[in-house]
Amino acid sequence: MGFPIFQVPYLGNGMTIALNAVLHVIISHGIAIGVMTMVVTSEYFGFKRSSKDWEELAKELLKPAVIVITGVGAVTGVGIWFITSALSPRGIGSLLRIFFWPWFTEWIAFALEVIVILIYYFTWEIWIGKRKRQHIYLGFSYILFALISAFLITGILGFMLTSDGWAWDKNFWSAFLNPSFLPQLLLRISGALALGAVFSSVFLFVTHRRYAFLKEALRFFGKIFLASFLGAMVFSWWYFAIIPSTFKTHTIFSLLTSRFSQQPEIFYGINAVGISILFLFVVFSLRESALLSKMLIIPALLFSIGFVMEFERVREFIRGPYLMPGYMYVNQVLLEEGPLLDKEGTLQNSYWYNMTANGADTLSQGACLFAQSCSMCHTIGGINDIRERVKGRTEDGLFVILGHAHEMIPFMPPFSGTDQERRVTAHFLYQLTNEKISLGTPSRFTPLKGGGIE
Amino acid sequence: MKPLSNMLLHGLLFSAFTLHILFVLLAIGTTILALYYFIHTWWGGRLKELRWDKEILRTFLAHKSLAVVLGVGPLLLIQVAFSVPFFIGVNLFAPFWILVIVFLIIAFLSFDALGHKLYVHHYLHLGFGILAFISLLAVPGIFVAVLVTVENSDKWLTIIHKGYKLSSPLALHWLFRYLHILGAAVVFGAAFHYFFSTENETGKRRTMLKWIVNGILLQFILGIMLYSSLPEKPDQISNVSLFVGVIGAAVFLSLIFSSRNKATTLKMKTVLPVLLLILVPMLLVRQFIQDKKLMPLEKQLQANAKTYQKELQSYHQEALNTYEADIHLVYDNGETIYLKSCAFCHGEKADGNGTEAKSLAIPPEDISALRTTRFHLRQTLIDGVPGSSMPYFTFFDRNKLEGLADYLNRRYSVLGLPKPIPVNIPDSTLQKARETYGATCTQCHGKDGTATKLSRGFKPPPPDFMVFSLSPERAFKIVTNGYPGTMMPAFGTLPEEIRWGLVKMINEKRTV
Repeated sequence: MGFPIFQVPYLGNGMTIALNAVLHVIISHGIAIGVMTMVVTSEYFGFKRSSKDWEELAKELLKPAVIVITGVGAVTGVGIWFITSALSPRGIGSLLRIFFWPWFTEWIAFALEVIVILIYYFTWEIWIGKRKRQHIYLGFSYILFALISAFLITGILGFMLTSDGWAWDKNFWSAFLNPSFLPQLLLRISGALALGAVFSSVFLFVTHRRYAFLKEALRFFGKIFLASFLGAMVFSWWYFAIIPSTFKTHTIFSLLTSRFSQQPEIFYGINAVGISILFLFVVFSLRESALLSKMLIIPALLFSIGFVMEFERVREFIRGPYLMPGYMYVNQVLLEEGPLLDKEGTLQNSYWYNMTANGADTLSQGACLFAQSCSMCHTIGGINDIRERVKGRTEDGLFVILGHAHEMIPFMPPFSGTDQERRVTAHFLYQLTNEKISLGTPSRFTPLKGGGIE
Repeated sequence: MKPLSNMLLHGLLFSAFTLHILFVLLAIGTTILALYYFIHTWWGGRLKELRWDKEILRTFLAHKSLAVVLGVGPLLLIQVAFSVPFFIGVNLFAPFWILVIVFLIIAFLSFDALGHKLYVHHYLHLGFGILAFISLLAVPGIFVAVLVTVENSDKWLTIIHKGYKLSSPLALHWLFRYLHILGAAVVFGAAFHYFFSTENETGKRRTMLKWIVNGILLQFILGIMLYSSLPEKPDQISNVSLFVGVIGAAVFLSLIFSSRNKATTLKMKTVLPVLLLILVPMLLVRQFIQDKKLMPLEKQLQANAKTYQKELQSYHQEALNTYEADIHLVYDNGETIYLKSCAFCHGEKADGNGTEAKSLAIPPEDISALRTTRFHLRQTLIDGVPGSSMPYFTFFDRNKLEGLADYLNRRYSVLGLPKPIPVNIPDSTLQKARETYGATCTQCHGKDGTATKLSRGFKPPPPDFMVFSLSPERAFKIVTNGYPGTMMPAFGTLPEEIRWGLVKMINEKRTV
């Protein structure tokens, strides 16, 4: 029966998912794996070297980490699921069925991860003396569960950019262990440790420490950062070497968008500045120049987060028209469904659009078709505003462009529907762009009410 | 196809959901008690003393973490067990459903901060507490609304019609169901803190017992109201299960009263089974009612899906073939970009006769006849031509557009000046052509060949002859026949040599 479509005003559906996802990645990687590794290692140093400084740092760093991991990290993680189940139900529904068991296992790993971190947190002052060693083991077992969780989720979500295999055999393992799996997993882990080192350095600077210890800790985090940052560079090179060129070629556009796509030097420039700042920061940290690295800590933090966002943006964008390779387009139309819909029509098959009530109302049909085909990426009046995209085009031009959208703009899915439906959509877009119609409820062009068009 | 048997799926769903609800109740109950005791202590003027509300709230971190993590399982399982109804229910309340994330983050961060010795001024404490409390309480409200929607498929069209509203009998059902959860939260929260936050103080224990007893009594009343508001009367097995749950509640009350009479404390090993005896049958009632509503629908949907899949089967190979061709196509060179992104209008031979040319009122330009500058070509690709079907192409980065320009130049020599006209015309004719241009063409094309004030607003505007020209043959054709769909009229009535003269003088306007 299909699903009704909800369009998030201004942000758009894709951007809403992306914002939540990026926040989740920063926390799940940077804090849940990164900072927590630093916490457990610091606790270990405190124990091994009988250092009160390391022990205190670990304990103080743990509290905000636990609050953020359980309060924001876990919620945004479930949040990705929440948002996609409302905005892209067919996509998430299909993924769930293919990956049911790894997802179920991932749930168990996630549950254990949270249970262990809670025990770790609440037993800090209880498991002391002889039991301290056990407490440290518990910390390391937390990291193990976090890594298992990362392993599973990378397998589940990482197959979208590698085209060979799953589309043909629909075999679970060809999806899970796709060629990009290993480089992506290693990239994520090294990125997590790098972020963790930067976050921990920030924590060092905003809390009070003995100066000698501050320098010692800074040097240690600097070492971790250097190793993991170099790792992240190597693994991202490996990852992108595996991604098919058909996707990879849109990398620069994915970051610069239409607005800056003609100035690629912006892309190279910002990346070069970012890498240089991070290297400078690490050099200062290793040389124990506390003042200099303190000066660079905020830019280093912003660029580290920026690189994470850059990677996720590229990865999400360049898979272009596909939500699942060889199976489903980003607007939730199945590849094999396209020809059927072109023949029989989209509205005819929609439970949510009542043809008899609105048969003559072509504008409401157009609004509904826009919602179904375009609203995953385009908004009306917000980010990636469709009116900006089609401004200046004639109605017949829009009709033609819609028919060739996928060919002309390779990261766009094809329009699915009959010629008449394409004409109706072109008419709607033309009228909308030339401000001949205004919209009632922009978030839900409730077609049953007459398309929400006043 | 479902990845596991229905029996196992529903068994897992029920167990995971029960665990989830247990911690949800503890989390909500904890915040109700903590907020109450904060206000209570404040009114008593004892805020400087050891604060019991902090002690209670400290456990929130664990409750909420476990509630979230144990909620993932049921979310996964219900999306497999009742995918379509669940996704529709979620979608019909999409904005609220998405806001759950925001509400939870506000509630979690605020409560954890307040519970972890973050001493703030008591007005701020109260403000944050109330904000977090409202945010937290909104969440079960939204969940219940979604579940009520999921279970009532006959109301879906009405709900989408009315915009996220439940109609009145369902709204009443939602309200009682929601309040019933809050009541349960009080009972379970108080029972938890009886054992874990009273530090064996008799006074504190006694107050916790009061919460439990009042909570259970409230639940009896709310339960009756909820039962009578059910859209359909429950079947026998639900009633039996409900009866068991009520017995459990009665047993719990009698345990409390007997311990009070004998002045003994409750033992966890007796209370825990009794609590489960209440929770499990009550949740079973919920599950039975939900299953009864959704099973037939799910069966029907499965059958529909099967038929549809069969119908799609005939397109399967075609789709895969298209996909395979698509992923081997790399838009990184001028030729591919031209053939895929331009040729359907401009034609594979770039003569303006693409497959779609006939659909357009303004015919696509004959690119093979184009003679222009690199800058102008790029600018056209970047801006498109307003008022025509020619779009902008900035969805390709600079290198790609340069590649396209290079390809067109290699193939059709589009970058450069046009050839001289193929006929000889005397100077006197050229002079006449100049006069004709001055009298007729300048209104739109301007003296120097650039658009005038008037024509700049045309859609599409006339070309700029200083940077744009066409082969003499193509230009002659346009002068003669006009350009359909634009303001350019036909001048075929002018003598042929004047028209050639016009072409010559226009093409000589090129400065670069």
